[in-house]
Amino acid sequence: MEYFLNQLVNGLSQGAIYALMAIGYSVIVGVVGMVTFTYGEIMMIGAFGAYYVFQFVGVNLPLALLAAFASSFVLGIIVYKLCYERFFNAPRHISLLCTIGFSMLIKNLVQIVFGPEAKPVLNIIDNRTFSIPLGGAVSIDLKLLQIVIMALVVVLAVTLTLFFNRTKSGVALRAVSQNKEAAYLMGINVKRTAMLGNCIGCGFGGIAGILLAIYYYTISTTTWGGFSMKAFSASVLGGLVDLRMSALGGLFIGIIENLGITISSATFRDMFAFGFLILMLVIRPQGFASKKGSRV
Amino acid sequence: MKKLFTLLLALVLVLSLFALPASAQSKGVIKLGGLAPLTGNYAEYGKGFQIGWQMALDEINAAGGANGYLLEIDVKDSQGDTVVSSTMATAFAEDEEIMAILGDFTSGACKANASIVDRYGVVQLSPTASAPDYASMSPFCFSIMGRQDGEAPYLATYVLKKYLGVTKVAVIRVDSDWGLSCFENFKVQADIEGLEVTEEKYKSDETDFSSIITKAKLSDPEVLVVMDQGAAVSAIFNAADSAGWDIKHVALGPGTSEQVVSQLMTPDNIIVTSPFFFDPQNAELTKWKEEFAGKAGFDPTVHPACAYDTMYLIKTAIENIGDGEITRDAIRAALQDVEMVGITGRIKFEPSGDIQRDYMICGVENGEWKVLEGFDYVNQ
Repeated sequence: MEYFLNQLVNGLSQGAIYALMAIGYSVIVGVVGMVTFTYGEIMMIGAFGAYYVFQFVGVNLPLALLAAFASSFVLGIIVYKLCYERFFNAPRHISLLCTIGFSMLIKNLVQIVFGPEAKPVLNIIDNRTFSIPLGGAVSIDLKLLQIVIMALVVVLAVTLTLFFNRTKSGVALRAVSQNKEAAYLMGINVKRTAMLGNCIGCGFGGIAGILLAIYYYTISTTTWGGFSMKAFSASVLGGLVDLRMSALGGLFIGIIENLGITISSATFRDMFAFGFLILMLVIRPQGFASKKGSRV
Repeated sequence: MKKLFTLLLALVLVLSLFALPASAQSKGVIKLGGLAPLTGNYAEYGKGFQIGWQMALDEINAAGGANGYLLEIDVKDSQGDTVVSSTMATAFAEDEEIMAILGDFTSGACKANASIVDRYGVVQLSPTASAPDYASMSPFCFSIMGRQDGEAPYLATYVLKKYLGVTKVAVIRVDSDWGLSCFENFKVQADIEGLEVTEEKYKSDETDFSSIITKAKLSDPEVLVVMDQGAAVSAIFNAADSAGWDIKHVALGPGTSEQVVSQLMTPDNIIVTSPFFFDPQNAELTKWKEEFAGKAGFDPTVHPACAYDTMYLIKTAIENIGDGEITRDAIRAALQDVEMVGITGRIKFEPSGDIQRDYMICGVENGEWKVLEGFDYVNQ
């Protein structure tokens, strides 16, 4: 039982990061109107932005999170200008192919500029573990790192929800996400708003990137494609554009993966994650979302 | 006057021949193909290969080449992928100017290329392939890393049983043919030594090890053994540390990697097996290490040192051909008989095409690698 609960905590921690990744991804899909294949590299750039804050400023987590957000936000502008804005009236696959090409370009550029070797991200959060008794001889081990990451993800998700519901820009973003033509007719600058939404989604991806690096104590230049697929899967589970449901999708994928490892081997991690995704889509094609096309 | 001018011109021409650089005096250029994972999960090793080869090549050419021939290498990115590696190997094999292929990094890629190099009759000399069944796949396959059926049993007998004196071991390994070969060879010897072994495996692109660590803790082992190379080694040990698991860390695969040490939360807790050690007392090795680090931007492991040695092996083979014609087959035949002391030690190929290495036990003290037990530990 204790073993099972500890694996559940591992799954929740990983799922929390997946949830943040999925939130950013869903914002992008919602406002741009199509999936992206550069999301892994966007997370990587955010992670590197924060990494260099740790290198040059020291362990300053708020500043690092800001740097991660800012660097991915800026990359989001470039992605938007190169891959989306120029092809608004072109067939949709042009933009998709452009994001694939841009993803390869960024990945190889980063290897050339920052080097191919993995970078250590150590001692950002104290290595403390709390043993929480649950009655009898059962207790669960909760790391401070896991607590901080889960708390940060919750705070960021609530902040984004408030932004969408309580600010003029947020409402404009929701309008663009729901119906671009109607938003345009209501006087919203659709292109600028879509770019802002894309950049905010990228910024959240950047923060997810540095949280992944802190959680795994390292930044690699090669593992981000897999995370991008997880973000996409979580977003699909949540109906692609529903932020809360995408976050739930991320949490589910994290938990399913870790519980899958509990009963079999880590080799089958992706089999559990994507098997669950396929099963879910067969039973409920709209994912966790209440209806197909539900928007932020 | 005209005769005097002609004589002077002839004299100038003759003298200019002596004044020409080595490259202009060479018998020609021998082209080599290089396979290395310059991108992908093993990119740091691929870059190490590229720099190691280039360092050796620059030295050889500056000293007049190999038996008067200048060497040239065309390095292609195999991405650590067996399919890509085979495509590149075929391209090299079909290019008649390529006299031998150096690389690839993984045993899997080298094994995938074995039938290709065998069919085209071109040497594939890998610095690092350690699968016991690789070199014997073709007379054209060679490797200088040493074999897993030497290192993995050494780990069981001399590191775990004799040095650490443990009986319960948790192994976490990469799920690749290299990882499988390591574990199978280790398990046979571990059974002989009476070690109780549990095994967990993961895909080569795995990043999250917290659930694997939680699972490995269940058997309450005395030591945690990781069989992999690169960032995964430190990621697994860091996951163990962050779970508050106080256990000795042992690794098979990374050697005395400075990068692994720089990425560990508790570097002084690691022990590795290694056929090679950058001894700080050895001025020649230290100079090589510094030159490599200056070019690569990171410290070398044994892998680029092996790559460096493979280039000198080709040079020695060409020299041993003497006045004979330099052909692919002549290089293969000469390479089989080469005996050389490289920076990684003495190299002499077995009839199968690989070499037997001796191993030592290395650990970290105050962030610096040191030899805990030398090559003679097996005799003590």
